[in-house]
Amino acid sequence: MSENYDVIVIGAGHNGLVCANILAKKNRKVLICEARENCGGLVEESITNFVPQIPLSVSSSLGGLPVKYKAKSTIALSESGQHIRLVGNQHIDHKVISGFSSKDADRYVEFHDKMSSFSKALGSFMMASPPRIMNNTFSDYFKLFKLGMNVRMLGKKKFNEFARMIGLNIADELEDNFENTLLQGLIAHDAVLGSNLGPRSPGSLINLLYRMATHDNSIFGGIYEIDGGSKAFVDTLLDISNKNKVEIKTSSSVKRCITENDKAIGVELHSGEKIYAKKIISNADPRSTYFSLLGTENLDTDVKRRIKHHRSKGKVAKLSLSLNKQPEFINCDKNDLESRMVIAPSIDYIEEAFNPSKFDKLSMEPILEMKLKNSDQSNPVLDIQVQYASYGAQEGWDKIKDNYVDAVIKLIGKYAPDIQSCIETKTIVTPDDIEKNFYVSGGHWHHGEIQIDQLFMLRPIPGASQYRTHLDGLYMCGAGTHPGGGLTGIPGKNAAQAILEDA
Amino acid sequence: MNRDLRFTALKKTPFHSRTSLASRTNKYYNWNGFTVPTEYSTTELEYTAARNGTSVMDLTPMCKYMINGSDANKFVDYLVTRDLSQMEDNTVAYIIWCNEDGKVMDDGTIFKFSNTKFMLCCAVKIYNWLHDSAEGFDVSFEDATDTTAALAIQGPTSCSTLKNYGADDLELLKPFGMKQYNINGYDVLISRTGFTGDLGYELWTDPANAENMWDSIMEAGKELKIRPFGMHALEMTRIEAGFIQTNTDFMAAEDSLRPVRMRSPYEIGMGWLVHLNKESYFVGKRALKKEKETGNSERCLVGLDIDGDKPAVGSVIYNEKKEDIGIVTAAMWSPTMKRNVALASLKRPYGIKIKENIFAEIYHPEELEYKKIWAKCKVVKRQFFSPERRNKVPADLYE
Repeated sequence: MSENYDVIVIGAGHNGLVCANILAKKNRKVLICEARENCGGLVEESITNFVPQIPLSVSSSLGGLPVKYKAKSTIALSESGQHIRLVGNQHIDHKVISGFSSKDADRYVEFHDKMSSFSKALGSFMMASPPRIMNNTFSDYFKLFKLGMNVRMLGKKKFNEFARMIGLNIADELEDNFENTLLQGLIAHDAVLGSNLGPRSPGSLINLLYRMATHDNSIFGGIYEIDGGSKAFVDTLLDISNKNKVEIKTSSSVKRCITENDKAIGVELHSGEKIYAKKIISNADPRSTYFSLLGTENLDTDVKRRIKHHRSKGKVAKLSLSLNKQPEFINCDKNDLESRMVIAPSIDYIEEAFNPSKFDKLSMEPILEMKLKNSDQSNPVLDIQVQYASYGAQEGWDKIKDNYVDAVIKLIGKYAPDIQSCIETKTIVTPDDIEKNFYVSGGHWHHGEIQIDQLFMLRPIPGASQYRTHLDGLYMCGAGTHPGGGLTGIPGKNAAQAILEDA
Repeated sequence: MNRDLRFTALKKTPFHSRTSLASRTNKYYNWNGFTVPTEYSTTELEYTAARNGTSVMDLTPMCKYMINGSDANKFVDYLVTRDLSQMEDNTVAYIIWCNEDGKVMDDGTIFKFSNTKFMLCCAVKIYNWLHDSAEGFDVSFEDATDTTAALAIQGPTSCSTLKNYGADDLELLKPFGMKQYNINGYDVLISRTGFTGDLGYELWTDPANAENMWDSIMEAGKELKIRPFGMHALEMTRIEAGFIQTNTDFMAAEDSLRPVRMRSPYEIGMGWLVHLNKESYFVGKRALKKEKETGNSERCLVGLDIDGDKPAVGSVIYNEKKEDIGIVTAAMWSPTMKRNVALASLKRPYGIKIKENIFAEIYHPEELEYKKIWAKCKVVKRQFFSPERRNKVPADLYE
């Protein structure tokens, strides 16, 4: 048996591509096996609307990533046409909010400052590999100590405030601060976006902090659209891969990891082909990595338990409406249509939308985040993130899909009365579809909930943080690892570092 | 389950009508949710029956799980540290199993009927553990604790007793073998296993047959010094045999609150049951391999031969510098061996490299006063008592 490659990366999602390229730049011979025909995974137009900017540390380790971003402002739609438009600049946002309530405007600045300082304290921790608590090594304890210090250095008052807020639900905090329900709804929307939480679920506040840490420590700043769409982003990564001589095999789904003496030494494809390498890296989600690649027969019972309890039920569906003309949104100008449009009129509205999802059912009045593409052309497309579209919905997605799409369109009709007449075609990608088409168990954006029990050194499961799995030679670089999903490339970069450290 | 059972603190075994009649002392204890006698008459008498005649013990409270399914064979091999891939049908094996850290959860016996059917017998409840371990295996489980009546028939005349009862050719059954019988019109599974370190058998049947089985065996052993024996007598025989008991000689991994109290197989003298060269993975293999390679086992479980005749129950063990090096987990004066024996958990290298100059501090109670004894100990093989008749085939027969 010959080792043909130094490293095999399973899955050409953006983290897999980032990881492969960093390794290739360090003169490793890298092969990527991708199950689908296309690379990029969930970074596909059909999944992602808005993204954070790739951190400098990631792009620089790739030798630069020539991607252009367009900053996006946010508009919270109101049925009455009293929309709130925020851009992520404190002065402008203050002015906008004071148009509704001068009290809220002042409070907003205070609230934002506070949240921002907390997210900065978490931020340094977000970039690096988390400590591994089961290791008992000095450097791991030091990292933990540093995080504690970061937070403590905020000062005693803020530290106490941080401790108070860390397990809090976002609704309580927003209701304490603001009186405008639309503003409350908008911030609550961003706090629960992509998660399995309602605004009144404990832990929804840390979700927002976590989001801010990757979005320039800002609530409404740091939201971007990639120039040329996500295809341009993936193409750029593929160009770099080409330059770095990373080999990519598409339509090659990996069946399992080949092991020898309890060490990963290669992969077996579904076609039966076997490829050997010194190190294997999985860009797949934790459950697939453990139960399919590593194999249940190679896992300790305790690990099986942790993976089984790993929370990864997706709640976001993507609806794409191709239109024959631009719809008329009430009281919206051209600028507004180019922003991120959110329909989440109040905290109670979101909570009502969330309630059925607790029982794996669907609310016919979901919350929406919309983007109008090609707005200046004759064939615009309205891309809509629909939450809470439960994974494995009890009603059965096959049966209810059409009704659900109609309900969403009816809902949009409240804000754009002529939407119905503009629609040419409609396509919806449910979490079940994501699971099936993208091989992500549970169809979760982040390959697992971003919650306190699945964060930092507990991500994805205790004993498997720091990008290493329980099997020697098998690593993970997907969104299921620290710091989680979003188009950041940090998991990919950190995983590459872990591999270089071990070599 | 019977609805009324919820209002009964402890369950009664199917032998209860008989064991309660036999009890002269009314001493019972709670074993796994069942009420069973600790002592019927006097422990010494019961012990003597076990070593010289036939002793009968109600084993029903033992946890019994049926493991069925096309992957049963693979699953059992995955669950336990011992290599069972070559295990033959209708045999029994002594096993231990570990958690992911390679710490022992319990020991027990596994009965193999076929590649698709096993029975696991143990002290600690592991129904959940079985289910969680089964992910990826085609197996199903049935908790047969309440639906199987079990009786231990142990001692030198046990084979003769059971032959009188109707178990033909039983003397030909090898140790750790098992055989299905039909006696008095019902099915009985007889295995040559036991916890006394002597010739002995265990009988498994439907609870409906329990009373007939008890009566018939008592009748069959009338001339062969048969006697029911309780937990205290069993404790004496198992110490002599050097058998370990979960949560007495070591803490079950899932029961210990303090991680440092958990023990690996190497630390309780069960290293011989760990087959690291087993081809497939088993729970705890990675951790055990690492422990074996680095040799960082911290403790050992050894047999001690102690000077004098005062049992070193609960004694602390010291070296010659009076440094604390371990603790006695079980101790007794062995009437058969005429030796003062104990099982002790020692800090390595004591017990492994250093076997001399070890002392036990014995507090011997004498009518509300303690006599403090400083007794010299010798590290010896844990199996203090192992008569030739234990493994003899054909087994000894008496009239």
